[in-house]
Amino acid sequence: MNKPLKNPITYLTFIIPTFVLYAVFFVYPVIVSFYYGFFEWDGITEKVFVGFDNFTQLWKDEVFRKAIVNNFYFMAFSLIVNIPLVFLISIMISKIRRMRGFYKSAVFVPVVISTATVAILFGVLYNYDSGLINQFIRLVAPEEWAQEWLSNPKLALLSILVANAWQNIGFFIVLCLAAILNIPREIVEAAKIDGVNGWQETWTITLPLIRPVLFVMLLLSVSGTMKVLDIVQIMTNGGPFQSTEVMSTYMLKVGFRSMELGYGSAIGVAMFIIILVLTGILQRITKREEVQY
Amino acid sequence: MARSRNGQWWMHLFLLAYVVVLLFPLVWLLMSSFKTNREITANTWGLPTSFNFDNYMAAWESANIGKYALNSAYVTVAACVMTLLFAAMTSFAISRMKYTKLNKAIYQFILLGLIVPPGALFIPLYRLIQGIELFGHHLYNTHWSLILVYCTYALPITVFIIYAFMLSIPNELEEAGIIDGLGAAGLFFRIIIPISLPALVTVFILNFIGNWNEYILSQLFITSESLKTLPTGMATFNDGYRTNFASLSAAVIISIIPVLAVYVFLQRQIIEGMTAGSVKG
Repeated sequence: MNKPLKNPITYLTFIIPTFVLYAVFFVYPVIVSFYYGFFEWDGITEKVFVGFDNFTQLWKDEVFRKAIVNNFYFMAFSLIVNIPLVFLISIMISKIRRMRGFYKSAVFVPVVISTATVAILFGVLYNYDSGLINQFIRLVAPEEWAQEWLSNPKLALLSILVANAWQNIGFFIVLCLAAILNIPREIVEAAKIDGVNGWQETWTITLPLIRPVLFVMLLLSVSGTMKVLDIVQIMTNGGPFQSTEVMSTYMLKVGFRSMELGYGSAIGVAMFIIILVLTGILQRITKREEVQY
Repeated sequence: MARSRNGQWWMHLFLLAYVVVLLFPLVWLLMSSFKTNREITANTWGLPTSFNFDNYMAAWESANIGKYALNSAYVTVAACVMTLLFAAMTSFAISRMKYTKLNKAIYQFILLGLIVPPGALFIPLYRLIQGIELFGHHLYNTHWSLILVYCTYALPITVFIIYAFMLSIPNELEEAGIIDGLGAAGLFFRIIIPISLPALVTVFILNFIGNWNEYILSQLFITSESLKTLPTGMATFNDGYRTNFASLSAAVIISIIPVLAVYVFLQRQIIEGMTAGSVKG
């Protein structure tokens, strides 16, 4: 009966293309990046085996520490500013009756624009002389309040965080909104009969029932902020004075500018392990409870 | 009732304010793209005094945007089609064919790809691409380097989504196909693929946007000016024109318009496609 579906040659033919690509461009680089991590190598001369030296050096590397701290700033900003804002806006969109579609489409617009373009756009907005932001400040406040947003080491990271939020928030709003609208009406109606008001409804019904999607948002924020790259590279490339350096920009500089391929790979491995540990901890904490309506 | 309508007013006000703050930069950029550099500084808020397209001409000519967009389109579509074909074939084999244990092992193996961020692998990937020769040609600095790598890194999420969909197709359909004398290829192309179309469209959009916007790999693998994709080309233009605001604004607008035009017509599918991976994950 099921002969065509139990033919080893067909089976292989259907799987081999995926397998070859996967083995060459994924499995091999993964293994090799661990391997390179144990060598000192400039890509031209012989590799020199150095054991765990790259990793111990990483531990003491001031710039790498700075980079990790900046990655954690990204994460903190995302958890403290982005996610609450996402939740607030999603709740509002779910409560209104008219123009829901309009708001949903509008907030999603920045998401479809490429990160490279967003970075260039914000470069223009942050310009000292004629950028939108400084011009607005000059309109409502004294001239001295205008800032060199991207070349002031104290402000550069914050400026990038805002640009990053501008691009990403819409994506999370759509996720969150879908989960809120998925809550069965009967539950809300029943609560209303019991005398629950709008505010209580948000805290005691909506928030607990969308826990799974909050968890997804948390997971995406954590892994996304640990590997953030494009926007930083185009806006400041880690500068000024490495005030915006993140792990991946540092890895690219070490690997491609100073040609320390071994050390660069070690940074890649460290990044991978950090992401794995953080997402592992998150999974442990939340334990993925299923919500039952 | 009156009270609840009052509440809605405040929310509309807040949401409208949010949308204005969010999208005003794009409107401002559009206005700036018609101004001269001096006008942008002197007349930041007003409409441009005249609609001249000089900036657009300058950006189009010096930035080579048309060429970049064409390159991006080619690489993106080729990688998407390849991903779709390979992922659908693999999903078909591991969801419909009768090798239970092997199926499960292969599925788990492919899902490993969702854990490792490609960002951690740039250095070995770069070395690998530089070292590969296919049919006597170096892979480095060709569009194929991007197509193959984009395809590989899109496979895990694509298999994940298509596999789930194919698993839910009832057995009766292919049994009928077998009685009609279809082989595995016939079952795949004539029965499973047409039924899976909604899932295929979703992942196509997801991958399309991802490839179209990809920046770092394209910057690492492509050195020839004439082969650059849109994001890399734009970044190069940005480095050269940092002070020439007017041209820069026009270039950004040119690169955004096609994306927004497609978004206006396909927003439901695009939103669905882009969020598919995370909802199901």
